[in-house]
Amino acid sequence: MTRFLLKRIGQAVVVIFFVTVIVFLLLHSVPGGPAHGILGPKASPQAIAEFNREHGFDKSLVQQYWAYLNELFHGDLGESYTLNQSVASLIGQRIPKTLVLTGLSTLVALAVAIPLGVWQARRRKGLADYAVTTVVFVGYATPVFFLALVLVIVFTQKTQLLPPQAPQTQSIAGLFADSRALILPVLAGAIATIAAFSRYMRSAVLDNLAEDYVRTARAKGASERRVVWLHIMRNSLTPIVAMLGYYLPVLFSGALVIESVFNYPGMGLLFWNAAQTSDYPILLGAVLVIALATVIGSLLADIVQALIDPRVRGTIK
Amino acid sequence: MKRPLTLAVFGAAAALLAAGCSSGGGGSSASGGTPQQGGSVTFAMPPNATPNWIFPIGTPGHLASFNGAIRQEVFLPLYAYDGYSGTVAMDEKASAAKAPVYSNGGKTVDIKLNTLTWANGQKVTSRDVEFWFNLVKANKSQWGNYSAGDIPDNVAKFETVSDTEFKLHLTKAYNPDWFTANQLTYVTPIPQSAWDVESSGGKVGDYDRTTDGAKKVFKYLTGEAGKLSEYASNPLWKVANGPFTVKEFTTTGQVTLAKNPKYTGPDTAHLDTVTFKPFTSADAELNVLRSGGVDYGYMPALATSQQKSIENLGYQVKPWNGWAVTYIPYNFNNPAMSAVFKQLYIRQAVQMSIDQTTISRVIWHNQAAPGYGPVPQTPVSKYLAPEQRTNPYPFDLNKAKALLTSHGWTIQNGVAACTQAGSGANQCGDGVKAGTQLKLTIDSQSGSTETDNMMQEVQSSLSKIGIKLSIKSEPLNSVLDHTAQCKPSQPSCSWQLSFFGTAGSWYFPAYPSGEQIFSSTGSSNLGSYVDPTADDLIKKSTSSSDPAAMQKYDAYVTKNLPVIWMPNPAYQVSAIKNNLRGVVQDPLVFMQPQRWYLAK
Repeated sequence: MTRFLLKRIGQAVVVIFFVTVIVFLLLHSVPGGPAHGILGPKASPQAIAEFNREHGFDKSLVQQYWAYLNELFHGDLGESYTLNQSVASLIGQRIPKTLVLTGLSTLVALAVAIPLGVWQARRRKGLADYAVTTVVFVGYATPVFFLALVLVIVFTQKTQLLPPQAPQTQSIAGLFADSRALILPVLAGAIATIAAFSRYMRSAVLDNLAEDYVRTARAKGASERRVVWLHIMRNSLTPIVAMLGYYLPVLFSGALVIESVFNYPGMGLLFWNAAQTSDYPILLGAVLVIALATVIGSLLADIVQALIDPRVRGTIK
Repeated sequence: MKRPLTLAVFGAAAALLAAGCSSGGGGSSASGGTPQQGGSVTFAMPPNATPNWIFPIGTPGHLASFNGAIRQEVFLPLYAYDGYSGTVAMDEKASAAKAPVYSNGGKTVDIKLNTLTWANGQKVTSRDVEFWFNLVKANKSQWGNYSAGDIPDNVAKFETVSDTEFKLHLTKAYNPDWFTANQLTYVTPIPQSAWDVESSGGKVGDYDRTTDGAKKVFKYLTGEAGKLSEYASNPLWKVANGPFTVKEFTTTGQVTLAKNPKYTGPDTAHLDTVTFKPFTSADAELNVLRSGGVDYGYMPALATSQQKSIENLGYQVKPWNGWAVTYIPYNFNNPAMSAVFKQLYIRQAVQMSIDQTTISRVIWHNQAAPGYGPVPQTPVSKYLAPEQRTNPYPFDLNKAKALLTSHGWTIQNGVAACTQAGSGANQCGDGVKAGTQLKLTIDSQSGSTETDNMMQEVQSSLSKIGIKLSIKSEPLNSVLDHTAQCKPSQPSCSWQLSFFGTAGSWYFPAYPSGEQIFSSTGSSNLGSYVDPTADDLIKKSTSSSDPAAMQKYDAYVTKNLPVIWMPNPAYQVSAIKNNLRGVVQDPLVFMQPQRWYLAK
């Protein structure tokens, strides 16, 4: 296991290194650099020259990358060109908020999707199954921005049950203190995920229902409840766990549309705005975080799968 | 609607703009009612407009519009201009000095300061202005508004006459209107008695009077300005002389200004606090507006159909018109089309094919106004020449087509081709080769419905006179990058026409001269327009004392068409709560929240 972990960590370092090289090169090979975009068409040649000098764009690409790597090894992700803050502090502010939003959405989605998937599988091809499938498909097919707007109109304007924006505080405690304001953004994020997870769960349970071990368990007199929730459930969770592992970068990269509609500045908007304004240090920092989340997510998925499924354990060396 | 001043992109623009308020009536909130002293107001900022700089000397990248608007409530500029009087003019109440007196043929400026006090109890003196000059002179390359030859380069000597009076000796004579409105508005007295230190906890001295010392002080102050999270607590920024002080300045961009109890000027705030609230999108803002969560917000252009419902919620809906012009530059150095663009009759034909009235009415739902020249069409000002006011090239496709056909162009398969090359009166003109086709390409901002619709309308109109326009939509930053000043031999000179769309209006400082955009040496003369007469008139508008110089420039450039004039969209369509009074929407896109009040 230790060897496996060391190998995977080694691979992760190499992957992340190449990600930084590729993103850095792509960004820095844009002709003209970001100065025009950042300073606008009114910028004087002196301001552009000073901007390029300050941010090293007057140096060669290799020198620029070396300077970037050097800072990175010292734990410095650089300074945003536009927000007058360090990238580390920006990501530090945004990630907890984003994780609260995406984490809660995912938890809600799992809490609904897993029992829903099992319930549907057991009523396969029944009226209830068709009805739920229809609803789930509608939820899956509805664009998030539309769904969010419908939720806002129904719950904040027609009925005024909930506030129209997410909590506006900066602290995590403040977010939970204003938990009513979290309901709509979390719900908007959860609905599409419920649809996806419940379909996976339904299909996994269906596969397992036909397995020999289920017949054996039933033949040995195990109650249906025990068969489903103990035997089938554990085996059916494998695809969900794998999906969750690969879902980790999504949790970290934020939910652009929800952040935008509910006035909740998180990682998604940080990245999007940085792309719009050519704020390279933020783009590089965010890509680094997402790359890190991707490799950690896949590693965690493998480990948890091994814990759930003994067959997988043999492959981990 | 995307703002004309989308922040990161047009940050520098707004920082040029001096002071305060109003679009000459049309955009103002109601006055009257019994003013209530105190109270709080929430103002919605445009999407992703995050204020990020408090120090009155902005470094490149830190000139976003709301920085200036917020800062000048805390640190009064030497001169503030705004639309309070109905047109753009100096607002002495919002300025730190009385109107300047020019002498010596426009080479000496005598300035007397108003009686103001810093929050540390010290008077605002000439030394505070000298401090600004010393810091900027020693660190000009790091000052975001610096342009070679302009302030501080054009001030040969700063002479202190007394504590409240000083003289500026200029390197040459300048037009007084231009110098005050477009140069002195950059100057902000800063508290030398508190800020002239080289390091944290250091003793206050006269360090700024040596270049080395000024560099160290500047480095220290910009270093402190880099600590955004400390803006509300750092004692440096508490030494204010304006009607407000900073109460809250969050890293996510929310700023709350509180009434400055130590303000000694004539423009005391009515309100206790004003909160500038950031939004992630116009939709998010509209949702909060609908629930009554902001006192002074805005409506996206596409939501104008909801005007009635917003009004029913207790808001007045008013367009906020900017002191700006909107245009499409021709690239006069484009190798393929240079000779074509240099023909005035072709530019006239193109201009006559732009149906500005219909575009303003249908595409902008009357939230844009036609513009016919290089001076803002509204509010009406003394700079506007009759030629621009009356539109010399009204929309007329027949005339436009006739201009082409009478100059040797023949329309073949819908596209005009030059069949009579030469420089005669009935020929295509100098340098236009026989067989040249009027096929043009425009780089245009993507992601804006209004821009897309405008481009399609222009494409359709031009096709009727034989000009085939291909539209290349790109994100705004790409359009900005691709629209560089260039020489014909450079690969970057492949662009022909360029439109920054809803973010592309050129916002002027108070004196709307064209040295940056239409002079042959202008740093933002993107299309490399060169015209000796225009150069001469621009020079006169900034350096001669002739009050009619601007009108002469305006008349010539209006008719000479260095660019395609387009309708100028409102800065925003504001929604102002009925009980919020005293709001004058400033064409220069600044604000005077000290004059806002809640009516009982």
